[in-house]
Amino acid sequence: MTRNSLSVADLEERALALRRRVVQMIEKIRVGYLQQGLGAADIFAAVYFGELRLREDDPDWPVRDRCILSTAHNTALLYATFAERGLIAPALLEHYTEDGSPLEVNASERLGSLVEATCGSLGQGLSVAVGMALSLRRQDHPSRVYVILGDGELQEGQVWEAALSAGGHGLGNLCMVIDRNAMQVEGHTDKVVPMDPIGAKFAAFGWNALEIDGNRMAAIVEALDRARGTTDRPTVIVAHTTAGAGVPFLEGQLRHVARITPDEAKRAMDALNGVAA
Amino acid sequence: MTETSIAGMGGFKDAKFYRQEALGARSYGQALLAAAKADERIVCLGADLTQPTETYLFRDQIPERFFMLGIQEANMVGVAGGMARAGDIPFAHSFCVFITRRVYDQIAMQAAYPKLPVKLVGFIPGLATELGVSHQAIDDIALMRALPNMAVIEPSGPEQIGAALTAALDYDGPVYLRLSIARAKPDETTPLVPLELGKGLVVREGTDVAILASGSMVAQALAAADQLAELGISATVANMASLKPFDTALVERLARQHPAMITAENHSIIGGLGSAVAETLALAGVATRFAMVGVRDVFAEGGTTPYLMEKYGLTARHIAEKAVELHRRR
Repeated sequence: MTRNSLSVADLEERALALRRRVVQMIEKIRVGYLQQGLGAADIFAAVYFGELRLREDDPDWPVRDRCILSTAHNTALLYATFAERGLIAPALLEHYTEDGSPLEVNASERLGSLVEATCGSLGQGLSVAVGMALSLRRQDHPSRVYVILGDGELQEGQVWEAALSAGGHGLGNLCMVIDRNAMQVEGHTDKVVPMDPIGAKFAAFGWNALEIDGNRMAAIVEALDRARGTTDRPTVIVAHTTAGAGVPFLEGQLRHVARITPDEAKRAMDALNGVAA
Repeated sequence: MTETSIAGMGGFKDAKFYRQEALGARSYGQALLAAAKADERIVCLGADLTQPTETYLFRDQIPERFFMLGIQEANMVGVAGGMARAGDIPFAHSFCVFITRRVYDQIAMQAAYPKLPVKLVGFIPGLATELGVSHQAIDDIALMRALPNMAVIEPSGPEQIGAALTAALDYDGPVYLRLSIARAKPDETTPLVPLELGKGLVVREGTDVAILASGSMVAQALAAADQLAELGISATVANMASLKPFDTALVERLARQHPAMITAENHSIIGGLGSAVAETLALAGVATRFAMVGVRDVFAEGGTTPYLMEKYGLTARHIAEKAVELHRRR
């Protein structure tokens, strides 16, 4: 059971629902952040449904947990999550990326405080999370702070400044999930800047570092549990994910921005719905 | 100072809240400490420069609200944004160059865009340092002015520091406070100078030329006015401590009342006070003979302040010479 009393099976159902929405949303706009949306669906389901204390009727609830999406472009998945979690009206998803819509390509706080910080300029989310964690701790505030980063983003120097300060301040109320999908605009992250070992780097910076299969729900739930149980230092969950996870013909394709035809979308939906090809 | 006289200074809607100690302080460190004692939301962030940013009083007296981040300004600005989002009022400190140019994107995204009460406090404005080009902030005002929601304040000196701090607190949004390191014990006998966001302050009345100055150049402008008086030229001097929002009405009025106008700033003439005044005049359609005293689109080098001010044309004499030149041009 998770913190929010959902089972692993419940969360797997949620992740499937998120994947369906991601495919539908990207199909509608024809090209977008499909691969990372499918790849991180299990992480988002575990964090937003299983872990975060939120109130659907009060997005500004003072003692809500904070979650920052530092890779602010992974929005088909983020908005799908908000809709499935009851935080925004599902009908709003129809207007994803439309002119004037609060559902921008890169999430901004035009959508309200669900977007806890406007990121998009990579490398900044962890610093903001550190600031929140420092202030909430000094205020004896019960909220926890979560931040989701991409692995390519780890190439930004500011991430390591923030990692040093989070470790140095022993921020046990902070949990970072790194979506290790090995994908960046340029291609495979390791061909751009080799980054392994990731967990060991953070461990050396004073973090509780966990490496897991980020597409296995039970592993994510267990890691989030262990993060909560670690109160003397921040936790990083290096979640190894597969781009396009859940749709066999998309799995492993490293495309930062992917185009999907109506036919491919139908095949993807069939795959998600368990219909034999 | 009494409560009454503070109220009489104008522009401080929260003056009582922040207490007269903050308003009456003649050093930044004293003013911040006094404000923080009155307001528990105020937190102090440092990037290794506690002594030169005058935050040691805060560190020693309110250690639980003092956060030393180390030499990492980019992270400090992001942290400040996060703390503001959690209900605190962070004051983040470094030298002017490092709290602006070095961290511009972080400021834009984590302070300016969300209009958070993040107060960025920089020391060593302009050329006033032996530390050289790496530490000389000649474009910080230009950068900060260009950011939506950002207020920019440069007080004239110790007499305006308390007012500058309270003005920064009164504004519910991000502020860049551009301060000089105190070189000597402040003179307790000079009258305190108020500061209202969006307002300039005429500190000397004249008729022939209006000199608009900010920061340490206010003193130079006043000295220039003395020199000009000996030559029979009557100068008005205005302290434009609120660089953004900017007192365009005052600029326009002074331009109509004087045949000549000069700006004086320890900053590049591109994007700072001179530019703000020129933009105001052009947009208002007011023609006046106009000159700018400032750093003339060059990088400088390390040196003593008097040497640099002289070499780069930032002294009272340079202002007075410009005024004479404009005066003769009629």
